[in-house]
Amino acid sequence: MADPILELDKVTVRRGMGIVLQDFSLQIKSGECIILHGKNGAGKSTIIETAARLLPMESGAVFHHGSLVCDGQGRRLNPKKSFGLTLQSNCLVASQTVEQHLTNVMDLCAKSIDLKPILSAFNIANRRNDKIAHLSGGQQRKVAVIAGLIPAMIEQQPRLVVLDEPDSGLDDSAIKVLVQTIHELRNIGHCFMIATHDSRLFECGTSLNDLRSEKTQEVSNDARWEAEPESKSPTFLKTKIGWKYNSSTLVSVQRNWLAALLVMGGLLSIVDPLTLSDETVILMGFTLAPAFTLGLVGDAVFKILNEQRSIDWWRAQYNQVPNSYVESFISGLILTTISSQIFIQSVDYRIIIIGGLIALTTTACVRFLQLSTIRLARSNAVFIRLLTPILILPWGIIVDYCAKL
Amino acid sequence: MRVRSGDILLMAGFSGLMLTLYLAFNWAPSVNINAFQSPEAQRIFYWHVPAAWAAFIAFAVLFLGSALWFFKRSPLGWKLHVAGSEAGLACGLMAVWSGCVWGAAEWGTPWDWQDYRLNTFGLLTLLALFLVLGRQSQPDGVESRDTFSTFGLYGFVLVPITYIATRIWVIRHPGPVIAGDEDSSISGDMALVLMIGALSFTILIIGHIMTSIEITKFEQRIDRLQKELDGE
Repeated sequence: MADPILELDKVTVRRGMGIVLQDFSLQIKSGECIILHGKNGAGKSTIIETAARLLPMESGAVFHHGSLVCDGQGRRLNPKKSFGLTLQSNCLVASQTVEQHLTNVMDLCAKSIDLKPILSAFNIANRRNDKIAHLSGGQQRKVAVIAGLIPAMIEQQPRLVVLDEPDSGLDDSAIKVLVQTIHELRNIGHCFMIATHDSRLFECGTSLNDLRSEKTQEVSNDARWEAEPESKSPTFLKTKIGWKYNSSTLVSVQRNWLAALLVMGGLLSIVDPLTLSDETVILMGFTLAPAFTLGLVGDAVFKILNEQRSIDWWRAQYNQVPNSYVESFISGLILTTISSQIFIQSVDYRIIIIGGLIALTTTACVRFLQLSTIRLARSNAVFIRLLTPILILPWGIIVDYCAKL
Repeated sequence: MRVRSGDILLMAGFSGLMLTLYLAFNWAPSVNINAFQSPEAQRIFYWHVPAAWAAFIAFAVLFLGSALWFFKRSPLGWKLHVAGSEAGLACGLMAVWSGCVWGAAEWGTPWDWQDYRLNTFGLLTLLALFLVLGRQSQPDGVESRDTFSTFGLYGFVLVPITYIATRIWVIRHPGPVIAGDEDSSISGDMALVLMIGALSFTILIIGHIMTSIEITKFEQRIDRLQKELDGE
């Protein structure tokens, strides 16, 4: 008998103050499609998000392809094989084009296919080079659904695909294409777990589960998915994707650079550096302040990913989400070079490198604090930045050290 | 009206604090005027040290509550977490504020960003502020309780660091007056006022913790009744 591709083993999950799943078990094997169709609040999305490693468990374990990916002990391991995921929110990055977004998904799978047929089938081929922000709600949903299907579309070996209400906002023709695509992918061995209330999707299911009982059914459609994927081996993927996100929005210029330049300008407005030539500690503090400010503003890519909760999609795929560390380091180098010229009228490569490192480590610390509250219902409303003043002490020590160089 | 033991302790602690202030300003001996830049400002010490002492007790309660919730899912643990963070914030702010006033008079600056003790204690107070404000910004649930109790657990690492900071890295902040070395001993009358202050603060925060536990219990009951009305 084939091993399950997805296994939830006696999973207990709390949400709010209640227990939503209690000792819940489920297995999905190659070629199976389970439709979860319980009433609102029954726990469908909780099962989906638990299978995608997004929710911590009180007890139990989740396995992908027989390997543990998370458990009630708090372990959270990267899946060894990529899986398809569409959550209730679209998890898109609005400033990316449709093609850029889907290419990122293919890069994660280290393979690529021609996107034109699938985009044409969903009737969005003409929007391929448009930014996602310019699409309608239904079109954005189509992109999110295609992104969820891509790992199965480009793999010959069985893959897991998890879709949470993929039908939401789709028109009739798109639903028909979705149903047909699921049939074709399932027939070549991929397995699906789909949460939906739409009875049109029920025909895809090899079993219908309302979270109280499960009913198996025969599926007559035997069409098979055909595609010719090409292999590619992207390196430094998360850094590269972070760079792409940042360069397409220039968020780091809007937020980090602006704050750093304002601090530099503010300092210049109250003091003439030439009158402080003996105050080396103060001048060094002024020199390193812009890099520190840049880091304190936070990771620009984190901000982008948080807009439509695409950070959840990334967290499901990898424990480490895209970042803007490279941009922070380079920005720190440039800003410190400028501020060195202004405040100490010289350029010392050691100070400049320290400036870059200050920007990088401060960004990483702020990002760590932000990520630690990501599980909260209103993570943007929590006052996590109240803890950032702790970074002033090490910054002050570095300033002292640099003043003695 | 039913008077609870928490209320009695709060009133007793508050009365003790008033007595401490009276004694500090009117009875405690003056310090050697040659030893300090601003000798009169030293009287703040009778408020500052007991407040810091009480803050450490509150942070210990916060740690205990966080651990009980995080590892045992104990409802009492969460109530202790809430009470400990509120008491830690109140006492921490009193210690920081009084320290700033004294620092401004004695050192010429209210804060030194390079003093380890000031910064670690300041961070503990900010942590308590984060826990109090953050909790109010989120719906109550296991997600928020887990997150905030994790911070409560991590935050407690700062308590021993703060305590030993004045022994290892003496920069500006004076050395310990309680359990310190021979040089740090203080005269009998001074010690008496200090002890009254520490005792009053201790009684006050015990009263606060008991009252806070009661309030949290009422809040949870209201929440439960609300859900029953919603038909959940």
